[in-house]
Amino acid sequence: MLADVGTRILTVEDDERIRTAVKLALEDEGWTVDEAGSGEEAIELFQRGQPDVVLIDIMLPGIDGFELCRHLRKTSDLPIVMVTARADTHDIVAGLEAGADDYLTKPFAPKELSARIRALLRRIRPMSPGHAKLIFGDLEIIPDEGKVLRGGVELHLTKTEFRLLVELGQNPGRVFSRESLLDKVWGYDYFGDGRLVDVHIRRLRTKVEADAANPRHVVTVRGLGYRLQS
Amino acid sequence: MTEIRDQETAADDAPTSPWRRGFRALARFRAQRLGLRMRILLTFSLGFLALSVFLAAITYSFAKSTLIKQREKAGVEQTYRDASVALNALASASANPQASATATINVLLNLGVARPVLNYHDSWAQNTLSFGQEVVPAALKEKVFANEPSMMVITVKSERVLVVGVPLGAAEGAYFEFFSLTEVNDTLRSVGLSLLFAGFITTLAGAVLGSVASRRAVKPLGDAAQAAKAIAGGRLDTRLETTDDHDLRLLANSFNDMASALQSRVERDARFASDVSHELRSPLMTLAASVEVMLARRDEMPERAQAALDLLVADVARFQGLVEDLLEISRFDAGAIRLHLEDLLVAEFVRQAVAVSSLPQTPITVTERAENLVIQVDRRRLARVIANLIDNARLHGGGEPEVTVSEAESDGEPLGHVWIAVEDHGAGVPVEERNLVFERFARGAVAGRRSSSDGAGLGLALVDEHVRLHGGSATVEDRRDGEPGARFVIELPAEEVGV
Repeated sequence: MLADVGTRILTVEDDERIRTAVKLALEDEGWTVDEAGSGEEAIELFQRGQPDVVLIDIMLPGIDGFELCRHLRKTSDLPIVMVTARADTHDIVAGLEAGADDYLTKPFAPKELSARIRALLRRIRPMSPGHAKLIFGDLEIIPDEGKVLRGGVELHLTKTEFRLLVELGQNPGRVFSRESLLDKVWGYDYFGDGRLVDVHIRRLRTKVEADAANPRHVVTVRGLGYRLQS
Repeated sequence: MTEIRDQETAADDAPTSPWRRGFRALARFRAQRLGLRMRILLTFSLGFLALSVFLAAITYSFAKSTLIKQREKAGVEQTYRDASVALNALASASANPQASATATINVLLNLGVARPVLNYHDSWAQNTLSFGQEVVPAALKEKVFANEPSMMVITVKSERVLVVGVPLGAAEGAYFEFFSLTEVNDTLRSVGLSLLFAGFITTLAGAVLGSVASRRAVKPLGDAAQAAKAIAGGRLDTRLETTDDHDLRLLANSFNDMASALQSRVERDARFASDVSHELRSPLMTLAASVEVMLARRDEMPERAQAALDLLVADVARFQGLVEDLLEISRFDAGAIRLHLEDLLVAEFVRQAVAVSSLPQTPITVTERAENLVIQVDRRRLARVIANLIDNARLHGGGEPEVTVSEAESDGEPLGHVWIAVEDHGAGVPVEERNLVFERFARGAVAGRRSSSDGAGLGLALVDEHVRLHGGSATVEDRRDGEPGARFVIELPAEEVGV
């Protein structure tokens, strides 16, 4: 299963040997790979032409991975995968909160990375005609156009946040467990990291809720998972 | 043995006097070394006792001498007064000395003198026999007859009395008078009692003061002991409060210096293992990616290069596993493991965990009762446990293990736990090595016989640590069906869900 031809991945990694090896392996998987050795270089490349996915190593000289991630998030909703040598809770949650969609810990298999990227690039299933719009109170989701409006004003969600919201909205009232969301949105099996879901839900709330501390739409069902309601 | 000892004791005891025994007991008592608090308390109490005894003794002797002197002075004055009365009476007396003396005594008795004794021209006269001339000591009589007024304290029928004697120069005689000292003695006794009581109170106050002082003196030690205990228990940032007290500040400072040194050393050790594993991850990343690129072109390689590549692939994987295990162990050592506990159906969990292990086709048997058991676990960590047990069976147990999930029981009684067992077809683990296999890098006899180039590594040590962190236990026994082979069992707390 090869990736879409011409899908561009920008890898930001200061270790030249790792960068080269990962580029070779990813190219074998069929991706087009651009390289950047620092955050500054990545921003420059990014401005010249947007890639489809960005792969960011957290430990970078100068601008670090978190900061680069936040910077890119200001202007772009593209999928970002964080790479860390430290599997400590702190780094992973900080990376996700900076706007990353998924993470991998070194050393990972390039095949695994390819699978992650494919999952993030997956498109939303086209809606059946009757469900072209999902409405939850003041929240209006138009899956086919990739739009979310709150009180008529369009919200800017990343692709992953949008897919998460649509997933929750397609079966109104149903409670989704972390596992099923991990499977549907990220393509993870039984052993995916539940923190991915938790942090994304948190980020989603800051955008779709009037008061993120007292969510009305994206609610937690204790011990079971999450639910979207009016 | 006991007999000999008994004899020795007997021989030892025979010549000793009670005194020596008492002394020895005291020595033993001292040898037991009283605690600091007790010693301070005893010092204070004994000090106050000695002080009060000393003061009481001085007070008592001073009071005694003063009272007796007063009494003596009064007695002497009284005697002279009575003697002059007697002289006057004798001057107008008859020629019979005995009659004169008796008459004089009567005059004195009429004046209220209680115990007079008169000698007149060798004739004695007195009021009562008990306080008569026979009672007056000879030494006193001698002195008085030698024309020297004297006095003496004697005891008559257990009563302390003062006898004062004055010569009646002109009348050729002597006058003696007895004065009771009972009153003085009574006063002295009550003074003594008061002093005894005061001494008792003082000693008691000393003991109280000593106990307070000892508590205060020992408190910093107690604090230090508690802090040391806390440090030993893993709270390495524990420090003693600094005080204004010179002596204590020294203790607190050295203690805190020691604690800081210990803390930084422990942290450095923990960080070292963690840093090493992290540093190793970067080259491993390059290796893993490069190996994958080469594997994609394996078919284009000459046969010898293919063989070399296979070795490389296998050992990069092993290296990677070791680094992961080392990192996880260093997290345990640093106490940095945080479990993400979830309620999971144990049967479903085991099936999923086996599916991602190195032998995903391993057969799994779940007993009927175990199907509805729920465990509360960190699923990613416990999946490592299952994977490690299957790896162990693959490497050391002749491959093709079987996994069984059943309700833990003892003589048919359910224990509220679940057993997840991995049985292999290896040589089994001898009884004496069953604890050792869970040690880190447990090689030696265990791994030597179990061979394999993959070694024991940290896999089973991690199983043990993880399971214990989940409140369970990991053990190894013989296969249940009597065939050769080992049965590794993890026991975890489980609950049955209502369906």
